[in-house]
Amino acid sequence: MGNLELIVEKHSERIHNGLEVLPTLRHGLPAGLGNKRWTAELILATYEMALTGDLPRNGLEYKIGDSGGGFDVLGWKNNGFPKVDQDSIDLSISLNKRKVGKKIEIPLPIYGGGMSFGSISLNFMLARARAAKKIGTYTCTGEGGYPDAIVPYRDHVITQVATGMFGVREETMQYAPIVEFKYAQGAKPGLGGHLLADKVTSEVAKMRESTMFTSLYSPFPFHSVYSVEDHKKHVDWIKTVNPRALVSVKVSTPTDVDMVAIGSYYAGTNIIHIDGGYGGTGAAPEIAKKNIAMPVEYAIPKVHDYLVSEGVRDDVVLIASGGIRTADDIAKAIALGADGCVVATAEAVAVGCTHCGNCERGRGCQVGITTTDPELSRFIEPEWGEERIVNLYTAWTKRLRSILAGFGLKSVRDLRGRKDLLVRYK
Amino acid sequence: MEEKTIEPSKYERFKIETKPAPHVYQIPNKFDVSARKVRLAAMLVHEAFGYKLNKEVVLSRPCIYGVFGGRFGGFKPLKHKCVGCMRCVQEYPHIMTVNQSNEYTRLGDSFWTPEAVFTIWNEASTGKIPVKGMGYKGAFSGEGFDGIWTDMSEIVRPTRDGVYGREYISTCVDIGRKPTSVDFARINQTPSTVEVPVPIIFDELPTGNMDVWSAVGIASEKLGTLFVSRDQTRGDSHKERMVPIVDENSFHETIEKKPTVVEYDAEGSDLFEKLAGRLPSSIVIARIPLREDTGAVACELAQEGVHGLHIYADYHGQDYSEDPRHISSSLKEVHQQLVKEGLRDQVTIIASGGITLAEHVPKAIICGADLVGIETTVLVALQAEFLGETRDRTSYKLRPRRIDPAWGAQRLVNLFGVWHDQLIEILSAMGMRDVRRLRGDIGRSMMDSELREQSFKGIAWAT
Repeated sequence: MGNLELIVEKHSERIHNGLEVLPTLRHGLPAGLGNKRWTAELILATYEMALTGDLPRNGLEYKIGDSGGGFDVLGWKNNGFPKVDQDSIDLSISLNKRKVGKKIEIPLPIYGGGMSFGSISLNFMLARARAAKKIGTYTCTGEGGYPDAIVPYRDHVITQVATGMFGVREETMQYAPIVEFKYAQGAKPGLGGHLLADKVTSEVAKMRESTMFTSLYSPFPFHSVYSVEDHKKHVDWIKTVNPRALVSVKVSTPTDVDMVAIGSYYAGTNIIHIDGGYGGTGAAPEIAKKNIAMPVEYAIPKVHDYLVSEGVRDDVVLIASGGIRTADDIAKAIALGADGCVVATAEAVAVGCTHCGNCERGRGCQVGITTTDPELSRFIEPEWGEERIVNLYTAWTKRLRSILAGFGLKSVRDLRGRKDLLVRYK
Repeated sequence: MEEKTIEPSKYERFKIETKPAPHVYQIPNKFDVSARKVRLAAMLVHEAFGYKLNKEVVLSRPCIYGVFGGRFGGFKPLKHKCVGCMRCVQEYPHIMTVNQSNEYTRLGDSFWTPEAVFTIWNEASTGKIPVKGMGYKGAFSGEGFDGIWTDMSEIVRPTRDGVYGREYISTCVDIGRKPTSVDFARINQTPSTVEVPVPIIFDELPTGNMDVWSAVGIASEKLGTLFVSRDQTRGDSHKERMVPIVDENSFHETIEKKPTVVEYDAEGSDLFEKLAGRLPSSIVIARIPLREDTGAVACELAQEGVHGLHIYADYHGQDYSEDPRHISSSLKEVHQQLVKEGLRDQVTIIASGGITLAEHVPKAIICGADLVGIETTVLVALQAEFLGETRDRTSYKLRPRRIDPAWGAQRLVNLFGVWHDQLIEILSAMGMRDVRRLRGDIGRSMMDSELREQSFKGIAWAT
């Protein structure tokens, strides 16, 4: 074994070991870890769940962060003891509520969000795809093309079509059971995407049909879409290329997000995916993340109520993302009116992300998540990553079941829009 | 046939040229990384055996930023290189600790957070928009500007392409009074207004020195903006960019200088008619502190004929009411009262106090300002030292440093450049081509308090 192999092996082992040791709090709570949204405890609790597949038993906070608003000031009504058998609770949701088209169900109300090849390593992408397959849910390509290594998992991979059209080919749309149009993303609403030059390696450039080490910008918006009618043309385009595919429309959360949602519904979309500003994994201007568009906690009820008032709520799936960190966040989002959630950052935390935000610096992520550096990428072996993500979702499943059991709900579908089960803290 | 040569277009999009102006005074390390030395030594010995003295493997370090790249590795880490990625703690939790440094946490005062100070330093130093990965990391919302989100345009409205876009987004604003109807008696007189290319001016600084004032003057010149100064000797070399604050004592001195724009303290003095009479082509702006009754005062002044209002809060963005409110609330009231009285379009509103981050500019404009003034932010960009609370306009604890005026000017140009780019990001997300359209457009913003009540309606309070 050469020195490079030994070095990668050494650090890989040490990182993996650290992810086991840190949540035990044997060395205390690392002072420099975390922030208001992803507190140190929440990060360590996620490491623990990704290791054991169970909820933390040492008192680590795994339900909320410390942001002082949104999901963090919502709790559950005191529901006493479980009223139904947890094992009998159904967590599955349907991703197509229309009378036509393929019926797709996922066994839990979660699928993976788009993180593009180039912004994340291929190994992490593979880990996510393998986990999605094992669970029976989906992951999403993001806007960076469809690496060949992902093709074996294509029944569990959503192809994203975004404004830069990077790597969008007829065959990748035909692979997909679901095609997602990304009109906007919460972390940079209205601003398009930006892949920094350092990350555009030869593989990334080839996949995106661009030039190596040149910054890549996805424009905003789709320059072919300036109306709902234009949007319908897009949906029709996908349905022509791949008649079996469901169509998801990912939008941000402007003041008129309810109007956008109803427009998308009438254009024929199966899934309306609203992405709030407080999530996101890619590099984004700080001003955009904090200041543009409303948090998803406020957008969910707005869209849900409007779809109800228009009488179409049961014909379309509402998915929320952008700051979903825990099983409790998912359950709260559903109680506010979503059908399910898209998760991305939590999957990254499961494999060692510290939420430090240095993804765009130099070689990229120090533990191999958001990087195209060939050495760093190897810290995440796809099998290991798969196991951790599956474990995290397994632990979340337990928490979701416990919440539902407490209210005597036999299906997660019965939780939708049940704001009456929530309480607010000041 | 004579061949015509096509002249290249002379069109140039407005852009503020930034270039690095690194910190002259050492800034504190954000993170304090340290190792338990005995354990580190023991680990090295252990690894030396484990890897059979393979030096390259044993000494390969758990940091990609070079913190342990010094001669003594982890025994003397290069703390300034630490970005807080925590990989060393992940790999060696029994040896390594990373904390936020004490020097960092002590930065600023009760309003200026260490993060805000760092942001301004970095913007002034690099001239680049702050970009980070993995989402937002701060509080859900907060008081004042932190409780406002700006709108964005989804698919149904044409919009622009942000900083890198092809279409021009104007950030120009006019300062001065605009007539609401055509006056045939003055048909040959064009309205007296001054255009600034970004909706930001330098307000009167709480303190400074000749170098600082000189930097502000040079930067104003380069940027095409204005600086407000009570002491009229400060900006002699850039007097055409200076907005003097006039009182009875400096009245005659000001008249001789014939400034383009002039301010006077409207609380306690009434110099408007005198100034307008003696300086007929100058723009006269009344400077008033924000209080409960500022709306009514503003209407009176607008009716009197002033060309603009410079309304200010304290340096923490709190107004001077008995029960202080954030400038965002009181500014909105003033704007709306002027609108109600049909006077808003006749006067320019400059708002200052607590404008310390790029996002405060569009948010203040949404609340009703035409443009903003910055003061403590200028000194922070020039690496002034916080010695305590800097809230009151008369008692501040911010000590300016000695600087090279050219360096200082470049730092301020960088700051304006970065804020301009971020303003364009906000406008482009909204699909707006002109910052003037943003003024008072509360409908294109979202208030935390309102959204919370709408969206969480029906959710009981925890008992």
